[in-house]
Amino acid sequence: MDFDVIIIGSGPGGYVAAIRAAQLGKKVAIIEKYNVLGGTCLNVGCIPSKALLDSSEHFHNAKHHFAEHGIKINAPKADLKTMIGRKNEVVEKMNAGVEFLMKKNKITVYNGFGSFVDKNTVKIAKTDGGEETISGTNVIIATGSKPLILPFMNFDGERIITSTEALNLKEIPKHLIVIGAGVIGAELGSVYGRLGSKVTFVEFASSMIPTMDGTMGKELQKSLKKTIDAEFNFDTKVTKIESNGKEVTVTAENKKGEEVTFNGDYCLVSIGRRPYTDKLNLEAAGVNVDDRGRVAVDDHTLETNVKGIYAIGDVVRGAMLAHKAEEEGVLVAETIAGQKPHIHYNLIPGVVYTWPEVASVGATEEELKASGRAYKNGKFIFKALGRATASGDTDGLVKVLADKETDEILGMHIIGARAADMIAEGVTAMEFRASAEDLGRISHAHPTYMEAVKEAALAATDNRSIHS
Amino acid sequence: MAIEMKVPSVGESVTEVTIAAWVKQDGDYVEMDEVICELESDKATFELPAEAAGVLRIIASEGDTLEIGAPICKIEKGEAGLASAPEAPKEEAPAAPAESAAPASGTGETVKVTIPTVGESITEVTVSSWAKQTGDTVEMDEIICELESDKATFELPSPAAGVITTMVEEGAVVPVGDLVATIAAGASAPAAAPASKTDSPSSSPATSGSSDSYASGHPSPSAAKILAEKGIDASAVKGTGVDGRITKEDAQNAQKSAPKESKPAAAETAAPAPAVKGSRDSRREKMTSLRKTIAKRLVSVKNETAMLTTFNEVDMKPIMDLRKEYKDKFKEVHGVGLGFMSFFTKACAIALQEFPNVNAFIDGEEIVYNDYVDVSIAVSAPRGLVVPVIRNAEGLSFNEIESEVVRLATKARDNKLTIPEMTGGTFTITNGGIFGSMLSTPIINAPQSAILGMHNIVQRPVAINGQVEIRPIMYVALSYDHRTIDGKDSVSFLVRVKQLLEDPMRMLLMV
Repeated sequence: MDFDVIIIGSGPGGYVAAIRAAQLGKKVAIIEKYNVLGGTCLNVGCIPSKALLDSSEHFHNAKHHFAEHGIKINAPKADLKTMIGRKNEVVEKMNAGVEFLMKKNKITVYNGFGSFVDKNTVKIAKTDGGEETISGTNVIIATGSKPLILPFMNFDGERIITSTEALNLKEIPKHLIVIGAGVIGAELGSVYGRLGSKVTFVEFASSMIPTMDGTMGKELQKSLKKTIDAEFNFDTKVTKIESNGKEVTVTAENKKGEEVTFNGDYCLVSIGRRPYTDKLNLEAAGVNVDDRGRVAVDDHTLETNVKGIYAIGDVVRGAMLAHKAEEEGVLVAETIAGQKPHIHYNLIPGVVYTWPEVASVGATEEELKASGRAYKNGKFIFKALGRATASGDTDGLVKVLADKETDEILGMHIIGARAADMIAEGVTAMEFRASAEDLGRISHAHPTYMEAVKEAALAATDNRSIHS
Repeated sequence: MAIEMKVPSVGESVTEVTIAAWVKQDGDYVEMDEVICELESDKATFELPAEAAGVLRIIASEGDTLEIGAPICKIEKGEAGLASAPEAPKEEAPAAPAESAAPASGTGETVKVTIPTVGESITEVTVSSWAKQTGDTVEMDEIICELESDKATFELPSPAAGVITTMVEEGAVVPVGDLVATIAAGASAPAAAPASKTDSPSSSPATSGSSDSYASGHPSPSAAKILAEKGIDASAVKGTGVDGRITKEDAQNAQKSAPKESKPAAAETAAPAPAVKGSRDSRREKMTSLRKTIAKRLVSVKNETAMLTTFNEVDMKPIMDLRKEYKDKFKEVHGVGLGFMSFFTKACAIALQEFPNVNAFIDGEEIVYNDYVDVSIAVSAPRGLVVPVIRNAEGLSFNEIESEVVRLATKARDNKLTIPEMTGGTFTITNGGIFGSMLSTPIINAPQSAILGMHNIVQRPVAINGQVEIRPIMYVALSYDHRTIDGKDSVSFLVRVKQLLEDPMRMLLMV
């Protein structure tokens, strides 16, 4: 065998698995079909969207909030070209960073398209032409996912676009129609909304970010309505999207069954992502996929039905999140090395990078109700928080759900500035099965946003929040 | 109405029993006090009588190992409408001692700690040492003191969590059932109290880690991984973290009863060792309490006595001739085979009465002389060595000795010996010859003062009246406590035994 471990795909799952395996003394190869490492997250996902989100937030603040802070400027102008250019620089920096890490850990990088020849052999159709075949004792499938597009949506990459194209637009849309108000739709919709686009959300479910706790969707919608020119169409089923090259027409059926149309200059389709196993030739290795096209894996070891072949990240079951893929990458590398790691999937935080951010961990209130568990609910709103008031970011709240009897924290849901960072305390607390009172008795620095977590925990403990 | 039957306490050191066999089957109708199942501990086998009349509903199956107090079955009273069944009065656990009737409650009451029943013959025990002192906080089931009977040492677990007050001093001899300590159960932290009071009960000065929180035993992420890799279940680890959480350090210190982790990397850098063929595995097993008792006692004998051994050889021809001649007749008349044990037991009994200090033992400053001869016979039982006793061997006939040997050996093999049957004994005979031993130095069975070791019988050339003859010879060994037995007595004793064996007629004539 040429390698101990071959990893197909260099996204956050793949490259982390590569580093961890190398740390454990394995000889590792990683195959990436693009010229740059980092996968969706780094190139067309998390990192670039956060770069644009922050640029758009700065613009929005300059336009709407500088004056109240006593900063007088002429009306700012959004220069999308520079914003995108900056975003590209950020991505390049990260690419270089991953490349450095591969070198540092002595991981062999192959640029090319990897596919199975048999269970231990992978063929690489190299980007610079030519072909190479390598063999490995273990293979990790980390090929990720692609945006989901249905045929009647007439994707053209110009006017009818996915998240990938939305990160490289040449102009700010006048009216962006967003199909799907889930995480990606909400994030990109809020980017362009802040840059001045009118944004129309068309969502099949009855709220924004429908998989998260109900309060979060409601609060996010309230906040977006206040800050951007947004329109929401829930319970609406898109039946056709057409473009004439300048204008896009979306035809849909509303709650009452009536046909409605929306006209805009761009339409972002963000109805989800599909596992990407195209041309991977899984059959040659005998690897099974499930009914939704995901590589079927053992829940604990992430090994496929073929011994020595593992799969991680978006290509397997579970949330399509970079940090989930990273944990799985570490788990597989350690499992191959004979260790026995474990992931608490219930404790992988979900995050939405809108402004305000949304983040959650554990059970939603809806789930607790459905399961009949007796729980307590403690909330604390940012308006009552010193730091939020000082900063002027008063939209948001923290919600702590705890078991009625034992006071154990069962879920934490945050919307507001820095929510994505704040959720870490909830994750840590829940990994140690802390009670709401435990958090309430831990000192939190003042004045910080984190105090909202403590206050919400106090509210959950015994409705004894200090500042509300 | 159904009553639940629990495994009764069968002795202080016995913490679990195995269900050897169900005498009654699930659904059977049983009478009160009828034996429904057989339980096995490391010490003995017990029969479990029904606590009431009714239909048996089995909870634990054969082969299951249960802790004392664990539910074993239910009896549905008045079921099946059997009018013949007299209404069983109440849930009367016959064997349940006070201990099990005083569960930890943590409500501030005082729990009495009494000496539980150890075995029928044991009426009192010695409190050999207190593991806890008055004022100490104890956990439920934590060992609070060590007790000694003449058979073995037992540990007494606390029946409750709380603050202990000891009532007797170390060394005190206490009758079974008597009070030795009390535990103020209230002093322990209220377990898992839901935090719903307006004012939080800022942690009472209770023991840390004693609280029975929902998070007790929850391993931290790193601890969980370490435990998984060691193959240890989190429930087997005592957490020292807040509310009993298992910390990384707890996991690192946790040890499996099985072998330590195989050391994988070690070989990689080491110079290539000469190839070893075959398995290099070793395994660890917990010592049974019987084994521990044996180990402890044997070492203490070696340490506390002045033990040495004298040897002699016995020409077995006369006995073998006698056996050859009367074997069949003996069996016909007495229904039991004529073995060597009766000759040896009888010879020893006679010699012991002639040398009373070999049949005596030291008790403190005094020497106890026994006018009777109780011979302990070392028997190899499945669980280890046991020593049942042949009582008043001096008065028994050959056939009575043989019957008693067969009876006790059978019970030993079936693990059915009772504690009284193993208690006492003034002298021991052990036969290493059945395993092929030529010569050995047996260890005294304390508090006795001597032990006779039998060995294998080998055809050896010996000089008889100036002629070399081939005779069946057995070497015999007598280990004795030189503190009470002088060399003259011990050697003379063994010579006397030799004399009796080589000329069995003497035993008849007592000469």
